[in-house]
Amino acid sequence: MTNTIAGHAISSRRVVVTGTGAVTPIGNTVPEFWASLKAGVCGVGKIASFDLEDLYILIGAEVKAFDVKERLSGLKDRTLPMADRYSQFAGAAAIEALKQSGLTIPVAEPYRAASIIGSGAGGVNTLEVAYRDLFIRKKRATNPLTLLRFIGSSAAAHVGIEFGFKGPTFGTVSACATAPHAIGLTYQFIKSGMIDLGVCGASEAAMNYGTMKAWQALRVLSPEGCYPFAKKRNGTVLAEGAGILVLEELEYAKARGANILAELKGFGMSSDAKDMVNPDFEGPQYAMRQALDDARLSPGDIDYLNAHGTATTINDKNETRAIRGVFKEHAEKLSISSTKSMHGHLLGAGGGIEAVACIKAIGEGFVPPTIGLDDPDPECDLDYTPLVGRQKKVTYAMSNSFAFGGLNAVLIFGPPPA
Amino acid sequence: MDDVATKIVEILRKHMKKPDKEIALDTKLEDLEIESLDLAMIVFDIEDSFGVEIPYNANEEADAFKTVGSVVDRVRQLVQSKAAA
Repeated sequence: MTNTIAGHAISSRRVVVTGTGAVTPIGNTVPEFWASLKAGVCGVGKIASFDLEDLYILIGAEVKAFDVKERLSGLKDRTLPMADRYSQFAGAAAIEALKQSGLTIPVAEPYRAASIIGSGAGGVNTLEVAYRDLFIRKKRATNPLTLLRFIGSSAAAHVGIEFGFKGPTFGTVSACATAPHAIGLTYQFIKSGMIDLGVCGASEAAMNYGTMKAWQALRVLSPEGCYPFAKKRNGTVLAEGAGILVLEELEYAKARGANILAELKGFGMSSDAKDMVNPDFEGPQYAMRQALDDARLSPGDIDYLNAHGTATTINDKNETRAIRGVFKEHAEKLSISSTKSMHGHLLGAGGGIEAVACIKAIGEGFVPPTIGLDDPDPECDLDYTPLVGRQKKVTYAMSNSFAFGGLNAVLIFGPPPA
Repeated sequence: MDDVATKIVEILRKHMKKPDKEIALDTKLEDLEIESLDLAMIVFDIEDSFGVEIPYNANEEADAFKTVGSVVDRVRQLVQSKAAA
């Protein structure tokens, strides 16, 4: 039976990816990012963009040479170049994704187009500047754009204004699961018949003195590097950037002759409801199984898994256990990697660029590596594609994102429908 | 117990789920049921109280955080080197 919403059939709607955009510590566009992933380039280094003062964690994975003028000129939304760094990253990645999709702006039915772009922290660089102005420099007022810059919905709003999308527009917030929540919701809105297309993902630019102090106090950052699944791992490394997708309903994309990059097959989400910092394995397992059920796939169908792999002692051990529980004997055959070994932990945006990595892995038949994994932890005993990537036919790829608070979100991508 | 030890025990009790437990210098922190987030809070309180910085990493097994006595020794060292500086 076919149900309809506003005359649009919803019974068998499928969702495809027609555009990808990325701003990352190892490349400021998708082609550059992918070339770095293939080559095993490491984007972690001594932080250079702000004064480290008395911090003792001195490393991070910063976006380098991001040219606002080049990436954000001639826009309809003239305020975007003046927005917070997190919105600028989102805007640049969204523009790249939209260009690749070939969508014509304005779209015919703007209320059926979404802009759902989240951020774990929002515009915290703007807040830090404002607080320094108020509390240290004793200024009487903040910059008038301060509020518009720091609110966590500003990236979604800016991108919506730029493209004229008038449908669902908001930001998701779920720490390191923010991007897959944004992508998964957009996918479900398209499947439900509410909308036909959306630009979605997440952006993060939360590297500054105050935020670094907060992370340092939580005692989970490595002073040396990001080494997921390795015996030597001793914490994660903060990073920044944005990962954005253009999603469309399959028939909508086909009707306009779009070049389809991949299909978004499944989405799962769950919460451990247990502890703010210590993850459980049941919640991640539930999210992975739900995504597989949604995609109507078996564990044995997945060829590549882009792990959450943060390089904290507890995550990597726990994720290994969760993967084993879901994939059983197929876990041994699965190609897994944590690309965070190269681009660091982009927090809310991590799942966005990792979704891009999965789509490229399917399109190019290549599994990116986990670099720095010369001596694996015996408790992380799966094929984590150590040191170098490999050519491999990837039909279905899964992306895991597990956040502080025990918030889990999983996406599964497949090839473009025949 | 000297002043440093007494203050550290006071901080530990503040963050323990069962603060009435007996604490001696050879008591292991794991026996006090202190979890990772509690330890981050404890280290913060110690740093704040003694004006020192302890580069503790929750991802590493640190000898200085095995027993109450080892924490006291480490803090005493840091306080002394701060005074000498």
